[in-house]
Amino acid sequence: MKITLTLNGIERTFACEPHETLKTVLRREGYYSVRFGSETGETGAAALLLDGRLVSAEILLAAQADGHTVDTVEGLAPGRGLDPIQEAFVVTGAIQSGYSTPAMILGAKALLERNPEPTEEQVRDMLTGILDRETGYVRPVQAVLRAAAVLRGEEVEPVEAWLIPALTGPEAAGPADLATPLEGVPQAAARVIPSPEVPETNVVGKPERKVDAIKLAKGRPAFTDDIEMRGMLYAKMLYSPHAHARIVAIDDSQARALPGVHAVLHHENVERVRYASGGQSYPNPPPYDQVSFDDKVRYVGDRVAVVAADSLEIAEAAVALIDVTYDVLPAVFDELEAISGDAPVIHDEADMEGAHDAGRNIVHHMEAEVGDVEAGFARADHVFERTYRVHQVQQCPIEPHIAIAYLDSDERLVIRTSTQVPFHVRRMVAPLLGIPVKDIRVIKPRIGGGFGAKQEMLIEDVVGHLALVTGRPVRLELTRAEEFMSSRTRHPQTITYKTGVNNDGVLVSQSMRIVGNTGPYATHALTVQQVSGLRGLSSYNSPNKRFDCDVAYTNIPVPGAYRGYGAPQALFALESHMEDIALELGMDALEFRRLNWTKVGDPLDIATRLGEGAADLEVVPVITSSGLEECVAQGERAIGWHRRSDPAWVSPPDRPHIRRGIGFAMCMHGTAIPGLDMGAASIKINDDGSFNLLIGATDLGTGADTVLAQIAAEVLGVTISDILVYAADTDMTPFDVGAYASSTTYISGMAVKRAAEEARRQITERAALMLDLDSPGEVDLADRRAWAADGRSLGLDEIALHSLHQDQQHQIMATASYVSPESPPPYAAQFAEVEVDIETGQVTVIALVMAVDCGVPINPITSAGQVEGGMIQALGYGHCEEMAYDDLGRMVNPRFGPYKIYRSDEMPRIEAYLVQTMEKSGPFGAKAIAEIPKDGVAPAIRNAIGNATGAWIDQIPFTPERVWRALHPG
Amino acid sequence: MATIRAYHRPATIEDALALISHTDVDATILAGGTVVNALPEEEPVEVVDLQAIGLDTMEPAGDRLRIGAMVRLQAIVDSDLVPALLRDLARREAPSTLRNAATLGGTVAAAEPESELLAGLLAFDATVSVVQLIGSDDIPLADLLLDRSQLGLGIITGITIAVGGDAAAERTGRTPADRPIVMAVGRRAQDGSLRLAVTGVDTTPVLVDAAALPDLDPPADFRGSSAYRRELATVLASRVMRRLGEPA
Repeated sequence: MKITLTLNGIERTFACEPHETLKTVLRREGYYSVRFGSETGETGAAALLLDGRLVSAEILLAAQADGHTVDTVEGLAPGRGLDPIQEAFVVTGAIQSGYSTPAMILGAKALLERNPEPTEEQVRDMLTGILDRETGYVRPVQAVLRAAAVLRGEEVEPVEAWLIPALTGPEAAGPADLATPLEGVPQAAARVIPSPEVPETNVVGKPERKVDAIKLAKGRPAFTDDIEMRGMLYAKMLYSPHAHARIVAIDDSQARALPGVHAVLHHENVERVRYASGGQSYPNPPPYDQVSFDDKVRYVGDRVAVVAADSLEIAEAAVALIDVTYDVLPAVFDELEAISGDAPVIHDEADMEGAHDAGRNIVHHMEAEVGDVEAGFARADHVFERTYRVHQVQQCPIEPHIAIAYLDSDERLVIRTSTQVPFHVRRMVAPLLGIPVKDIRVIKPRIGGGFGAKQEMLIEDVVGHLALVTGRPVRLELTRAEEFMSSRTRHPQTITYKTGVNNDGVLVSQSMRIVGNTGPYATHALTVQQVSGLRGLSSYNSPNKRFDCDVAYTNIPVPGAYRGYGAPQALFALESHMEDIALELGMDALEFRRLNWTKVGDPLDIATRLGEGAADLEVVPVITSSGLEECVAQGERAIGWHRRSDPAWVSPPDRPHIRRGIGFAMCMHGTAIPGLDMGAASIKINDDGSFNLLIGATDLGTGADTVLAQIAAEVLGVTISDILVYAADTDMTPFDVGAYASSTTYISGMAVKRAAEEARRQITERAALMLDLDSPGEVDLADRRAWAADGRSLGLDEIALHSLHQDQQHQIMATASYVSPESPPPYAAQFAEVEVDIETGQVTVIALVMAVDCGVPINPITSAGQVEGGMIQALGYGHCEEMAYDDLGRMVNPRFGPYKIYRSDEMPRIEAYLVQTMEKSGPFGAKAIAEIPKDGVAPAIRNAIGNATGAWIDQIPFTPERVWRALHPG
Repeated sequence: MATIRAYHRPATIEDALALISHTDVDATILAGGTVVNALPEEEPVEVVDLQAIGLDTMEPAGDRLRIGAMVRLQAIVDSDLVPALLRDLARREAPSTLRNAATLGGTVAAAEPESELLAGLLAFDATVSVVQLIGSDDIPLADLLLDRSQLGLGIITGITIAVGGDAAAERTGRTPADRPIVMAVGRRAQDGSLRLAVTGVDTTPVLVDAAALPDLDPPADFRGSSAYRRELATVLASRVMRRLGEPA
């Protein structure tokens, strides 16, 4: 059939099928700003304006739009430059990955046309249709309000860092008043507590615009799927309907016979090569317990077969025609049952090796001890022991996993994929495909969120196999349900702490036992559980410590890397346990922790035993910077901590079924994996004195490309607009491990800094030559010029032209890499305020405040955005998100809604504070910030519920029935 | 998405009725499409889109209000004619992008078990106007939810509700905007009569008698066991009644 639309003001006629959505048709016609988020429309990534109304084009038939007016973001500011709404999204830091930004901008346009003066509530209502996993909605809301003001012709203030005086330390102006809240901070500002140790800089520390802002605000083709490939085939996977079964027979004859089918692959026709899918440095930690296609399935959602066909519809039809005979086996889902010795064996294949005890489903066993824990318990005045349980959640990037593979004109395999680890993918996929690394090129375009789910070689082998077999481009995109069930999730754990403490509150001895659940495949099991141990036992000082861990194979969908990487699990248990001990001892919850938490100069002794796959460290790391005291003070004031001990506040007399409470959790994270993570960067000058910065680092929406450009610009004395960032492409950029372990700013940032310093050295040498100076040391770079001490100067363009064209020609360029011997921890204080309905168990989170010491934030706006968005993911973990299953291991809620992530109109008050410290080992003083916001929200909510009601609950999430049962036992 | 073999956009209700009554075609009515288009793969169907036949106005009908079946949820949210509580329930029914497409008739036809708006309509004594090839009917919503075969091959043309009186709703969910595990809504009419409806205790929202709440046997899911849902229904209903001045 044909439809006619008035599309962005122009009448257009398109051919389509009756079943096709408007999203499908528009993308086919090149309107790539309309993006896939889910089949059921609630992510809003595909939202556009239909007759001026914001609707989700994923669940609108193209035919329904026939005769109507349709507007996409391509219609705003079609030439160069930005529309005022787009501009407001850029300057407020509302754009992280930018995947759903076009939808938000269109929603803002429709709202502001109807209502030029919307309230915040009205803006939040408009945004309910666009789920955001990245920003916590703080900045998108501010962007719309700012755009409204601009469009009304009002003056608006610049968005920048808002400096707040310190409350502690030598800089503080007398004893702090923590009971009077700070007033007057603009919502879009980044709250920064400056440190006098931090030197003045020009680009670093400034709220620079994101370097990718134009393409993201304008909905340009920038993501994996935004590409047109002639003759492309569509792949569809057949997934296991059983949690545990042997494939007895597989008959693909009917599928192959279907016209339009080009390949059907499964265990009978794909070579069996064992591997581990976690995107980690060489050599990947064993066991290698996966193959591309196996004759056994180990969870509902496991791979069985894949089809490539001329269209997705044909591929889906072919998948339905594959006849598989299963021998269904008993399954086990709980980690304690799985290792009991009386459970079905999940890896019983003959070629399985490298697991600790595959016969008992124990993939890893770890022990680490410092001092003598048992002697410590014997000596302690009190010993407390308690067990905590954490559950399974999913990362939920709004862009699911997607990869497109094709052979280039040299018959090399190009894989364009939404990954955090392009270099690991290239190395890991080669043996599976049976071709050398040199024949593979991996390109990472923009990514619509990853959060660890894309620190995997998840589907690249599948599209690679299909492209090699068919010789055609092949695309595979996961559906939302497949993203839930067949990608990666967070490890559930059962954690038992035992702690010996003296009457004065000083810790004497502490042990932590973890039974982790890694589903049927180990992928990140070793290192996630190591991080749990490291974080769980090095946040507080104790002379005696012991870590003891078993990781179980089970039949749940596969856990892997998820932002926080073992720390959120450990800190839920640790910060619950510390609260419980303080309560038992009758000590103040903050004072008890303060007595014991690690401070500058303290050793992280157990770190030498839990090295995350790196060789164990030889030297015990020591804390070199900590702003924790200041973080706690800022957080106490912002949350109104003093209220928690006021009975009239806790039990408001006018609301008899409500109890209020405030909780705290201390957080300490790592910054990169010491001795292992390596990043590299190349930088070269262009004729006009601008620079290309080529990096293997992988910006997954965090703003890493921007931060790295700021570092280069600072060193080279130019503006950020003079730095042209290109990342990441295994053919074009130097190696980088990729985006994980809170490493990009610290590791890749240091590589950029070193490369820029070498380029700077070459520039000053050339300037000395041109100015007839004796030594390049006399030259300084500033304001895009090289300055001699006598006041003469040359533009960088003059230097570039001279160097490239005129005399002793030379390309000013440099490459540098960096690996760190250290992992200086960022610290944070997390506070939560809740209301509990004691008759129903419903918990309402009223406010979340996090004050973070991330060293020097290179970009305060993007840093604040990391904290705001991270806290909201963490809120989901503690409060409402859960993967739920039936008795057969089938997920019952693989859809947003039943799987509940927070939306714009139900957010607590969120505030982020950036407490500066000068971390000497980091680039311009920086430490990590990306993951620590995930660590403290769940225990802070737990402790707030306890403060409110006296119920101290040892399992997340705090859904109504769980809380109700705690309040009404029996 | 359902496998849609053909798309029709009839200009009149008679044409629409003729299309869905056609014996060799399995036809599905498309209102906003937010439910039908989000369904998983099923048998092939033809869709009959009602967008061209009107049915998208609201008007007082005596002491009641008649809302056309094709009125979008957002229009209900925005309308001064609709009681404030129902406007709020229409807002809670779906996020903005879906509210701008979904219709009231579609919401009634889909009869989702956790729909707060349907519970609100029950409390506001809604009747559903259905036209068939021959004749038409006004069916109380409560009856229709009990036996949806009454729709037959008919088309919902509008919903008529009571206006005025006092109304209140109470709910328990995982988060403030979550579909509630259980929700209770009550309306006291001007004549003093009270109607109480509850979600989360049956396969559809249901009208309940407060005294019978302890006898409910709600279906369980991962968000709430049967016993917990029964408890919630009792607690929330008594809060609603208190707010409406009833002895709980």
